[in-house]
Amino acid sequence: MGTQRYLLGKVVQLVITLFFVLTFTFFLFHYFMPGDPVRTFLKAAGAKYTPAQAEQLKHEFGLDQPIFPNQYVRFLKETATLHMGASTIIYPDSSVTSIFWSRVGKSLILITTSTIASIVIGVAMGIYGGWRRGGWVDNSSMSSSLVLYAMPEFVLGMILLLIFSRWLGWFPAGGYDGAPVTQYTGFAHFADVANHMALPWLTLMLAYLGEFYLLMRSSLLDVLGEEYITLARAKGVREKYVLRRHAVRNALLPTVTLIALSFGFILGGVITVEIVFSYPGVGLLSYQALRARDFPVLQATFLFAAVAVLIANLIADLTYAYLDPRVRSA
Amino acid sequence: MGAGRRAVVVIAALGSFLAVSLAGTALAQSVGSSAGPSNSGPIDFVEGTIADLNTVNPWKALTTQEYEVIGMNFDMLENFDKANLSAAPGLATSWTQSPDALTWTFTIRGDAKWQDGQPVTADDIAYTYNTTLQCQLGNSLDYLVPDYTKSIEATSPTTLVWTMNTPNTAPVRPPWVYIVPKHIWDGKPCSDIKKDPFFDNGKMIGSGPFQMTEWVKGESWTMTANKDYWGGAPQIDRFIVKHYNNAEAMVTALKQGEIDYTGTPSIALFNQISQENGANGITAHLGPTSGFDQMSFNMCDPSAADAAPYCKRTGGTGNPILQDVTVRKAIEMAIDKQTLVDKVLQGTGSIGSTIVPWPQYHLDPPDAIQFSISGANALLDQAGYTDTDGDGIRNDPKSGQNLEFRFILRSDSDYGAQLGQYISGWLKQIGIKTINTVETTNKLTNDWYDNDYDMYIWGWYPDPDPDFILSTFTSHQCGSWSDTCYSNPEYDQMYKAQQTAQSQQQRVDIINQMQQKIYDDIPEIVLEYNRTTELYNSAKWAGLEDNQSPQPEGTLWSQYTPYSALTVHLRGNEAASTSSGGIPAIAWVGIIAVVGIVVAGVIGVSRRRSASDEDMA
Repeated sequence: MGTQRYLLGKVVQLVITLFFVLTFTFFLFHYFMPGDPVRTFLKAAGAKYTPAQAEQLKHEFGLDQPIFPNQYVRFLKETATLHMGASTIIYPDSSVTSIFWSRVGKSLILITTSTIASIVIGVAMGIYGGWRRGGWVDNSSMSSSLVLYAMPEFVLGMILLLIFSRWLGWFPAGGYDGAPVTQYTGFAHFADVANHMALPWLTLMLAYLGEFYLLMRSSLLDVLGEEYITLARAKGVREKYVLRRHAVRNALLPTVTLIALSFGFILGGVITVEIVFSYPGVGLLSYQALRARDFPVLQATFLFAAVAVLIANLIADLTYAYLDPRVRSA
Repeated sequence: MGAGRRAVVVIAALGSFLAVSLAGTALAQSVGSSAGPSNSGPIDFVEGTIADLNTVNPWKALTTQEYEVIGMNFDMLENFDKANLSAAPGLATSWTQSPDALTWTFTIRGDAKWQDGQPVTADDIAYTYNTTLQCQLGNSLDYLVPDYTKSIEATSPTTLVWTMNTPNTAPVRPPWVYIVPKHIWDGKPCSDIKKDPFFDNGKMIGSGPFQMTEWVKGESWTMTANKDYWGGAPQIDRFIVKHYNNAEAMVTALKQGEIDYTGTPSIALFNQISQENGANGITAHLGPTSGFDQMSFNMCDPSAADAAPYCKRTGGTGNPILQDVTVRKAIEMAIDKQTLVDKVLQGTGSIGSTIVPWPQYHLDPPDAIQFSISGANALLDQAGYTDTDGDGIRNDPKSGQNLEFRFILRSDSDYGAQLGQYISGWLKQIGIKTINTVETTNKLTNDWYDNDYDMYIWGWYPDPDPDFILSTFTSHQCGSWSDTCYSNPEYDQMYKAQQTAQSQQQRVDIINQMQQKIYDDIPEIVLEYNRTTELYNSAKWAGLEDNQSPQPEGTLWSQYTPYSALTVHLRGNEAASTSSGGIPAIAWVGIIAVVGIVVAGVIGVSRRRSASDEDMA
């Protein structure tokens, strides 16, 4: 019963936070961002747009209404019912949901697989490094992790692109697959997509690997100094159980929190990596929509980003509760 | 052997079995469906581009990519002549003008078919033109000269009659209007037509040599050859465009054989490839002048008697000192255009002068302004702009203010900021200070609409017919297409006169006068003309260089009327398809197997737990 209540509480918290995030970004865009989408469109389209036609266009875009409350309420309604309308600038007259769905799967595969790999490998290495502190493995992991942590993702991406695509020719220079030139099906298509995703995946995985390694390692070192560890050893518990049952479980707690916090940055990194590799995901779409001031598409990408971060935090909260029984019964 | 260890062995065995069977499938499939000998896959010509495709509605086309697709999917009444871009037979095989010069009669060919099999008739053309006029659709409207057109009718399936109320050569400019099928669009209200995405609704039915059959937005779009095209079947099966987000990746793809052609490399990349002299089989082709970069001045003075209507309504913050043509002339004199061509364009262009770049109509001004810092200084001295406060910046004799101007450069331009830097340096030498800001196109558009600027740098790729670019300097284009809100009644008159000129020679004379007027009044300075830069795999493809348009110096692809789309073909017996790049499928099988085994191993090991987890040593 306690767990159910806890879970419900977390979900309600998520919805409220989402509401605040969307409200904040809505006002940020409409009040503070320079650049009027109608004017951008008119300047680009020109033709014989009489002032009356320009007004009509503004009306069609829904921009002639007062921002608060009309446009705001419309925004909330559209977001809640997922009726995002049509793109105005990037793909004029095409439905936002169709544009979005064609991209979101590609980004999700990339983000989830690389983040999971990054977490698993980073944490495992961190545990090993913290446990066998001072060994050559620890020292070399430490220095390479610092380098990776310090390097911006897109720089890492460009370096990998240069080495593996330009010089060695092992992987293609960008995109999602070879279609429509190649017409693979089944496993051959999977391999084709894997080839195209390999470098962006590697970039994202390495970019955050360093951070997770350092987090876990320092967290473990902290815990190893605790009194209950000394007690366990004094009791005669075998080293590997001291590590597994006592040290790691406690060290994971702050690590989980910090990993959840970094998810927002991972999404930001995805945008730059998708640009470097021309990977047609939601990150690239956000960038294009922002430049073009295409509000309907921007709404969709913001909703996605907000929900993704909040869900990641929810998962982290639940993991925390799973790891630490004290939290559950509170 | 404990339960745990047995589990690990079983999982490992399963893993290997899975790996082997996947390997077999992969092998079978890659042999079957990927690139094989030349007669197995379709013949694809693949283009790489930085610019994405936004819309394929023929009335909304704006960018090169959009015109490329629409130009291949649809036909026009008259084509652009291959050599000089004047009117050539298209859907119309011939035309005559009535003795009173008011009526043009076109004979429409009988063998053209829509891509859904229906025949193309004069009715379709009349429908398209009249709908464009009535619904005030898109950028092609000007070509139908609404003020002078009385009626456009199909008097028979093969006869189109265009009646004017004033003699006019507009019908043979040629009109840049793409013809759509009446049987699909007839009866639809204007608002629906304006908002129709065309491809998304399955309405990309034209009569052109290719038809758009696939569009993965942001990634690629595919056009399939129309083997029944009246102008002859293309020699390729598909034309595919792949969208890249950065030029380096795109050029790498060209070198690796993933794409065959690109028309959008940056100047630096183009020169780099030029210097490689055909390595990787890539040819670098420098084409004709297609556009220009300009430095525009804010000519909106709301208090002026003949200010443009929009300027009067909106007002503006332009520095009044710039209203003096002497100051603008001095600025132009201080700019070393040759250096801009050499250093910024790195040779891929020429010095700018008048606003019409195309050779057929371009005027070389007889008294061209020569670069001279001393001359510019002398001009300003004579006009009374001296430095009264000794700060190195000249002062306006009337207001005493410094000659200090805001100068906006676009961040989205490859080299806009560079141009600005050079110019600022020269202006400093003549005692003019610039306040440079780099803005996104969006922000500049806003400032421009508000007339809130002094000077900025932008560019144009004018149509082959000069009517449009000339129209942008008329007073009613302020707030629409006008760069500067320049407003001059004499110029407006000349614009009307060239539209209603009775003969081509008369029209050319008026257009020359208009160019001279803009050149003398200097609402903007044409800095330089840029030439097209194209890269393509000449080892694999033939039929391009001998089919350039216009001639003698033309583009190899993406032409105003796509001639080379019909002539491009593979050299010899080259393999048709290109590879997608990457490690072979087998390698992925191996990777998956390894990952699977490792995960299985970890799970197996962690399950191996004794009853008590507090084992004593």
